[in-house]
Amino acid sequence: MGCNNLVIIGSSTGGPETVRRVLSRMPVLEACILIVQHMPRYVNESVRAEFAEETQMEVKLADDGMVLRHGLVIVARSDAHARLAANKVVQLVSGEKVNYVRPSVDVTMKSLRSIPRVNAIGVILTGMGADGAEGIRHMKGVGGVTISQDEASSVVYGMPKVAAATGCVDFILPPELIGSKITDLVKSWSNGVHLS
Amino acid sequence: METKIMIVDDEPDIRAAVCTILEASGYGVLPVESGARCIEELEKGFRGVILMDVMMPEMDGWATTKKAIGKGLLEGNVVAMLTAKEDPDADLEEVAETVVNYIRKPFKPDMLVSTVGRYCRWLERDRNAHLAG
Repeated sequence: MGCNNLVIIGSSTGGPETVRRVLSRMPVLEACILIVQHMPRYVNESVRAEFAEETQMEVKLADDGMVLRHGLVIVARSDAHARLAANKVVQLVSGEKVNYVRPSVDVTMKSLRSIPRVNAIGVILTGMGADGAEGIRHMKGVGGVTISQDEASSVVYGMPKVAAATGCVDFILPPELIGSKITDLVKSWSNGVHLS
Repeated sequence: METKIMIVDDEPDIRAAVCTILEASGYGVLPVESGARCIEELEKGFRGVILMDVMMPEMDGWATTKKAIGKGLLEGNVVAMLTAKEDPDADLEEVAETVVNYIRKPFKPDMLVSTVGRYCRWLERDRNAHLAG
């Protein structure tokens, strides 16, 4: 079984609470969700466990070589960039920080390829700075659907603001509606319909 | 009572309020009045949850956080900014991996207690994992 539906969520300051609100609105999806949350290394497992409390999907910290599959939520580990190989496998890459952070949302999103074809959603949630904006531009360019969090619900309206300013964001929504939108899009893909 | 929380704020009323709220829920709180005092306590070995005011004279909360990162003093701590200020500037993204939340004043006591409680559990889980491993 391959993974044809992929959701990449980028998140920073205020993100652990916000991602939980997004996940809480999702059933088990026919999609793989990859979360890039900026955070200290020593809270990786705790944040993973909190995400797991909000969803029936399996939630794992990323390992090098981990294969994407539907129903799986992968949380990028601190101190390594999480790249996608052929839209199918997670590669953990050490190296310089990008946008002052590692993992960088931009690195993950920009590793998405248009071939092999994958239905993709890129999401930027609360956070300081600009990480994820170039990733959103790239995801839009390869045919993905793009979403950023709205100002009113953002703990820090930095990353979502810069992402929206690219002009490449399809939907600007609060967390609960982001969860519902992802669910609707994935269901439409599973039914062979494209809402985007 | 083990001290798990440090409140860094130049306003005595805020320090007193945070101490009252969190101590009533069983947390030991260390109040300090400046970024310099925060650095001192970190150098003495404080590890726990740090609630950091942004606007302080001399060294503000961002400068304090950056200095602590530079000295390698924030390993094992969870930092949340506690502030009345609006959105931070974009050039502060270099602390994005360290600052997990941005709590605005005035805060609701029950929100503060539940948030701090979660962060304490994060650190406890990490401590237990090290003991087990």
